[in-house]
Amino acid sequence: MSSETIEFFFSFRSPYSYLAAPRAFQLPENYEVDIRFRGVMPMAMRGQSVPSQKRIHTMFDTKREANRLGMPFGPVFDPIGDGAVRCLRVSELAVDQQLEKQFVLAVSRAIWAEGVDVSTDEGLRPICIAAGLDWHACQQAISDPLIEARVPVFRFREQLLWGQDRIEDLERLLDAAGLRR
Amino acid sequence: MAVSGFKNRIEKNLAPSLIIRLSEVDAPMRLAARAKRARGQRGSVELFFAFDDASSAYALITLAELVNQRDVDLIARPVVNRGIPDDPAVDRKRSYAIDDAVRLFARGGTELVRRTPIDPEATAWLAQWVADAPQSAALTDFTVEAVRLLWLTDGQQPDRERFERLWREKLGGSPPAAGDGLASNEQRMARLRMYETPAAWVTGRWFFAHERVAQIGEWLDRLGWEER
Repeated sequence: MSSETIEFFFSFRSPYSYLAAPRAFQLPENYEVDIRFRGVMPMAMRGQSVPSQKRIHTMFDTKREANRLGMPFGPVFDPIGDGAVRCLRVSELAVDQQLEKQFVLAVSRAIWAEGVDVSTDEGLRPICIAAGLDWHACQQAISDPLIEARVPVFRFREQLLWGQDRIEDLERLLDAAGLRR
Repeated sequence: MAVSGFKNRIEKNLAPSLIIRLSEVDAPMRLAARAKRARGQRGSVELFFAFDDASSAYALITLAELVNQRDVDLIARPVVNRGIPDDPAVDRKRSYAIDDAVRLFARGGTELVRRTPIDPEATAWLAQWVADAPQSAALTDFTVEAVRLLWLTDGQQPDRERFERLWREKLGGSPPAAGDGLASNEQRMARLRMYETPAAWVTGRWFFAHERVAQIGEWLDRLGWEER
């Protein structure tokens, strides 16, 4: 347990969150910090309009970035609606069991690189089990109620950094704080 | 039920997955670039930016350096009106853009001196000058210097006389009278389906320019406009 914490604001509907997650969860390996996962509801489910040109540009841009990072992207299955809510609820359970890294990496890859429909039990169940979660506990979590921001966002001390492409700036702040292992 | 299930699958799975596949089709753009070079023409990076936007300042200055070593022109297209309609986070984004630009400039060892947002109307006249002048290397040079003055030199309120002196130094004469340049830039930006600054249009692709400078360079390489 480190004295410093980075809050990682994440949306299962954000492909940029998917790109950020592996490097975000890697930070405690290299720095004296803990990652606190914060799942947030997608913008479009919080009443904020998302123009069609933004949606299309995001797919183009994420594909370019995924290629640069050596990560698969596509086929996708947009989790908006039940899929995002189910993932958020299971992620709370995963945090309680300290399995959030395993669950978040597996489910975001399933959504954004394997085209898995996580709004169905058929889609979500094998991911939960592979992440080490008990499916019955997940089903209970899914039936529980819940949980904001643009994502992915990192908060370290008083600084907010928005974007999967700002992890290098976050690392610079961690270096400046003398937290490199 | 079956119809709504199929519609759901198209919207959430088939359409976005198809868009991702299409994003990798670049042969028409590479052919167009090759044809342009065969006609002896240069490439271009069209940058839609705002003088009041810290992210735009970073994009303009770094893209000017990027194209400098290539047979590519930087076409600076200032706008004033941009963004998602009724965006509730406009003020927070403006303020965040400054914090973010401080870190972006710091990557290259440069300090962003201005730390307070500029009201878009406070530099609208500057945008109008550039938008209504004919494109030229001298105009791009003026634009880059103006952005440096605004963001890297001091945090003063934009002083019109100072920029008029710079205009005379770089382009000679007086800035142009107001025409339809700004409206034309904003319309072109919308036609290209870009909604926020800084946005760069490079032969069939658009990029959020402040955070995709390296990717713009890679795209220019792919189009055949490599560094000399």
